[in-house]
Amino acid sequence: MFQQFLVVAGLSSATYMLIALGFTLIFGIMRVVNFAHGEFLLIGAYAVFVAQHQFGLDYLVALPLAALVAGGIGVVAERALFRRFTGDETGGMIVGLALAIAIKGAVTILFGVDSQPIARPFSGSIEVAGAFIPRDQLFAAGVALVMVALIWWLLNHSRLGLAMRAVAQAPEVARLQGITPWKTYPVAFGIGCALAGLAGALVAPIYGAEPNMGEAALMKAFIIVVLGGLGSIPGALVASCLLATIDSGISILFNATIAALVSFAAVILVLLVRPAGLLGRS
Amino acid sequence: MRLELQEVSIRHGAIAAVLGVSLTVESGTVAAILGANGAGKSTIMRGIAGLVPLHAGRILIDGRAIENLPTEQRIRDGIALSPEGRRLFPEMSVHDNLVCGAYLRRDQTGVRADLDKVYALFPRLAERRNSLGRNLSGGEQQMAAIGRAVMARPRLLLLDEPSLGLAPAVIHVMANAIRRIAATGVTVLLVEQNSHLALSLSKTGHVLESGRLVRSAPAAELLADADLKRAYLGDDPLALESLAASPPPV
Ligand SMILES: Nc1ncnc2c1ncn2[C@@H]1O[C@H](COP(=O)(O)OP(=O)(O)O)[C@@H](O)[C@H]1O
Ligand SMILES: [Mg+2]
Repeated sequence: MFQQFLVVAGLSSATYMLIALGFTLIFGIMRVVNFAHGEFLLIGAYAVFVAQHQFGLDYLVALPLAALVAGGIGVVAERALFRRFTGDETGGMIVGLALAIAIKGAVTILFGVDSQPIARPFSGSIEVAGAFIPRDQLFAAGVALVMVALIWWLLNHSRLGLAMRAVAQAPEVARLQGITPWKTYPVAFGIGCALAGLAGALVAPIYGAEPNMGEAALMKAFIIVVLGGLGSIPGALVASCLLATIDSGISILFNATIAALVSFAAVILVLLVRPAGLLGRS
Repeated sequence: MRLELQEVSIRHGAIAAVLGVSLTVESGTVAAILGANGAGKSTIMRGIAGLVPLHAGRILIDGRAIENLPTEQRIRDGIALSPEGRRLFPEMSVHDNLVCGAYLRRDQTGVRADLDKVYALFPRLAERRNSLGRNLSGGEQQMAAIGRAVMARPRLLLLDEPSLGLAPAVIHVMANAIRRIAATGVTVLLVEQNSHLALSLSKTGHVLESGRLVRSAPAAELLADADLKRAYLGDDPLALESLAASPPPV
């Protein structure tokens, strides 16, 4: 039982990290609370569905394609919509909300409200120390962790990452170094959305693709970044593990509704004690 | 790089912060803009870097107009600004702040060599190379901001109040560093309230009062001028008060 709890918590931590990383990256760099973040997850999940059923592609081919599609739509959304609301957090939120409703509506019209099945890339499970780990979930968690590591490397050891950090911390001073924020923003937004799309494509074989999955994901991302500190990447990673532990522990002991209640209680508690989040700076 | 301002005016909304300023900084020389707080010194620097648009006038580098170019392009053309108030990237290490200054450069070996030069210029920065910007003392931040500007290998270096808020011992380090940077042949335009320091580093001084240039002269002449010293260069607040009451002869 305890081993099984560790397995579930560990697997969900990885997916939560991926969802929250994109969300907090976009906020950290652009000061945009992307209310459409969950819908980019939706786009990723349905992209896999379309790739499998329309084009007969293998899941392992569909997976990176789904991330690219979500990322590409993210770049377009930044240039066409979010750019106008630079420095206007409220305006950015409203645009995000409108975009979320539009994407979800379009998906519902195109595919209906029913959950669409996605062919699983792997089946069965492996047994470790008395706990069963489903192979498909293990694969999803592994890909998620590799992506998190890649993004960490990108931010800290690449020229693009240096530009993104500079723009995030002081856009005007970044311009004085020859960095153009207008070129950095769509890249950052696209990466954030691609991460969401990848997360959607990774969970789709496990839960199926359905129009409401975006809201649940946005809620998780929200809880995580508030717990960890808005815009803080280490905070988001730590809070992902925390939320995954709360979620899986209480779901196993009681049920998912109580788990959701407890996670919100944890958010309120953290906000009372540390308003900037666990690792955030006000 | 030769810098020329022609009748430059800059407004902040309804406030005319800079009015018809013309001045030339010859290639490879150091010039200073002096003036009281609020005279418009920083606004001129920001105008040259393209962070604020000109209301009127032209800015030429080596005879070429740049006033309509975006900031990034002016940096590419060889201008670097160490802005007022240090303005480091707070969550970046000293090392990363310095590397950011070389963002547009592709000569990695040259960048590494220049990093070593900056660390030699400010040994304190070498000790603090892994510290975050926000954890540095005021003097260390100023050194890092100037080092970051130098890392761009500029041909025109703009320094906005490099001595502001520094302890006397640190001002000395800073002055020596600026002398050594200028000795490499880069054109330097310096803004200071500490006029004595600025003039001792410069060939030419320009005195700014309420956005207007009221005097341009060789630095030695300005240093020797007793009236000017009392009116603009004194650290004595009474001198500034009497200045406000009755405009000095110009
Ligand atoms: N962003 C701004 N908005 C409005 N007014 C400004 C702004 N920046 C500077 N000013 C005004 O412009 C004038 C010149 O300021 P500044 O260039 O900072 O002077 P200095 O650097 O000589 O102290 C001052 O009256 C100041 O209040
Ligand atoms: Mg100033």
